[in-house]
Amino acid sequence: MKNKPQAAPTAIKKSAGTKVFNGISYVLLAFGAIVCVLPFIIIVSGSFTDNVTILKQGYSLFPRDFTLEAYRTIFRSPKDIIQAYKMNVYYTVVGTSIGLTMIALTGYVISRQEFKYRNTVSFLIYFTSIFGGGMIPWYLMYANVLNLKGHTLAIWFPALMSPFLVILMRTFIVGAVPNAITESAKIDGAGHFTIFFRIVLPVLKAGLATVGLFLALGYWNDWYRSSMFSTNSSTWQLQFYLYDLLNATTAMKQMASNVSMKTADLPTESVKLAMAVVATGPVLLFYPFVQRFFVSGITVGAVKG
Amino acid sequence: MKKKWICGVSALFLILALPFFSRIVIVDLVGLFSNIGVTREMAADLLTGYNLFNILSFVQYSNYGRIGLFAMLLLLLMIACVYFHIAFIIRTLMGARKNKGELDILSAGKLAFIFEIITAAATIAFVIFSNIKFGIRGFMPTVWVYIELLLAVGAYVLIKVLEAKERKKYNEHGLLHEIKKNWPLFIMLIPTFVYFMINNYLPMLGVYFAFTSFNFRDGLFASPFVGLKNFEFLVKADLFRLTKNTILYNVVFIGIGNILQIFFAILVSRVASKWYKKTSQTLMFMPYFVSFVILKVIVYNVFEYQHGLINNFLTSGGAERIDFYNTPSYWPVLITLFYLWKNIGYGMVVYLATITGIDNEIYEAAKVDGANEVQQIWYITLPHIKPTFIILLLYALGSIMKGQFELFYQLIGNNGVLFNITDIFDTYVYRITMTQPLSIGLGTAAGLYQSLFGFLIIVLVNYLVKRKNPEYALF
Repeated sequence: MKNKPQAAPTAIKKSAGTKVFNGISYVLLAFGAIVCVLPFIIIVSGSFTDNVTILKQGYSLFPRDFTLEAYRTIFRSPKDIIQAYKMNVYYTVVGTSIGLTMIALTGYVISRQEFKYRNTVSFLIYFTSIFGGGMIPWYLMYANVLNLKGHTLAIWFPALMSPFLVILMRTFIVGAVPNAITESAKIDGAGHFTIFFRIVLPVLKAGLATVGLFLALGYWNDWYRSSMFSTNSSTWQLQFYLYDLLNATTAMKQMASNVSMKTADLPTESVKLAMAVVATGPVLLFYPFVQRFFVSGITVGAVKG
Repeated sequence: MKKKWICGVSALFLILALPFFSRIVIVDLVGLFSNIGVTREMAADLLTGYNLFNILSFVQYSNYGRIGLFAMLLLLLMIACVYFHIAFIIRTLMGARKNKGELDILSAGKLAFIFEIITAAATIAFVIFSNIKFGIRGFMPTVWVYIELLLAVGAYVLIKVLEAKERKKYNEHGLLHEIKKNWPLFIMLIPTFVYFMINNYLPMLGVYFAFTSFNFRDGLFASPFVGLKNFEFLVKADLFRLTKNTILYNVVFIGIGNILQIFFAILVSRVASKWYKKTSQTLMFMPYFVSFVILKVIVYNVFEYQHGLINNFLTSGGAERIDFYNTPSYWPVLITLFYLWKNIGYGMVVYLATITGIDNEIYEAAKVDGANEVQQIWYITLPHIKPTFIILLLYALGSIMKGQFELFYQLIGNNGVLFNITDIFDTYVYRITMTQPLSIGLGTAAGLYQSLFGFLIIVLVNYLVKRKNPEYALF
């Protein structure tokens, strides 16, 4: 990017129209940002609000009758949630590391000019995103053909790769490693594995980070593979544990109201919110540190290379 | 010209592919009766000879699902043969392309004959397979199958010889040579190959379930073959509603989504303060990181009847409560809103990357010429982000028949009151998978229709884009 100091925007006197335009930009952006953050505030403040207050007066933007009761309730018997956390970390780490390796290798291969079938392979990978057998054959493949129902493999294997991430990775590799460099390495006698590990990987940090984060985010937030393949609650993903808890508390409340019993002694509403905070916590905690990879890194390219 | 001769063989195969030529004959009708329980009345409908196009009708009459998948594969193979023969003949008639000589033509011919060989071999295998399954010699392949096999092998060898000559001339190599030269690249692709085989390509065989009345008792591929019954039922029941919902939601998502994403990306790019730029970007991207289960919590808290934020607000202002969860008409708007809430930041970042890539000097020049902000955006920014927009649009169109499953399922769940207006293919199929194992054939049919329809749309759109400007085409 060229930046001429003498041509900086401040050098030219801003017209009234520009000022108005800028003012509107600031206001609209602030509005957009607030709308995006608002729901988080509702959840967090709700989790700190006394359950009786929620039941009587409903949810609100700021915590009223501040209390830690909901969090105490959760951590009074933390065995289940710790198990769900452990499983989620396991799925995320295993899935992301294996998936990222596979995606990087594939991205490297389909970015090689000398690889004659690069466009064919790209298309065959992309093809899976526009045509498929549908959810049921996919489910039966894992559940009945491979017999993986209840196995943790069925949770992390299906999400190892996606056409979108492969193409994203290829774009990164093409951008980070000019063909001339790998060509000269080849002339010096380097094989493809050497080129990949010694030349491509070291300069691919941004690509690995971005694709890896997409993978990790997908694993962390997933719930539906548990809903399909888990037979035992000890292998549940965190989000599915949360999902089940939400439905269970609803059911509990239903039952309580049926027998006209007070639900007040169990802080159901605020517990739900506190659970949501606990489940999202790590993502939002990491977010400020990793968001720059997303913010600078996502470009889209065509399937053909 | 040897090529013309081979083309003649191709034409002969096309004639042989016509439905008048039986490939399989029934030699032991009585035996079949006793073994698979075909009744006398059904026998009147049975033919004595079958070609590969109507062999499925036998499977359906006989109610014997075990050979259904095989028969369907035969049908697909036959169609592939016809397709490649036609392609071969057309390419031959059109003549050679300059840069690669006749290699294009020959590869089409090679494919045609390979498929012909496979089809013939598969037909024979089918006969053996079903005879074993029935436990008698009920079927025989006709003489046409053997002729087909011999001719195809001959033609294939001939084409190979021609191709070797051409290859030498143009210095093009075949697959084997490529593997020898770049074997590490092929090794690197093995895990990917295994993954996509298991996760995507092998399950495609399962679309066969769409043509069966599936049940687990008979086993995956042995349920009775019912032809297009599932599709007929779908057309009568849910197909129109599901198609309409899925496409309408996606059109709205894509349309409003892209407009807002571009809008906010331009705003961010126009703001001078670095801090403001970064903060607003970070905050607007945040919802993308929230799982859909959390989204469900949020939506529930805002729209719940008793304690929801909005109803809380309404009652404190003296107004009536709104029963969102029992009023379908609110949900298209709500779903769209939350889709936008979750996805604006993401698309905004993609567009912003393109906008930052625009050379600043263009804007400076425009300013000197007296262009105001709106003119700069209209004449500089928008034309520059057009390629990004088109590519995003094409990717989105590729999945226009797929819904935002997690969004819909978490927001609506099993709330039947809202199904009519919020049910999309993915939620419909998911419910069938999880709760109605007897309707699996139906669910697969819905999935297959969804997949085919979406596939045709993207292929058509991509073709049109390619004709207009090949630069923008996705593939």
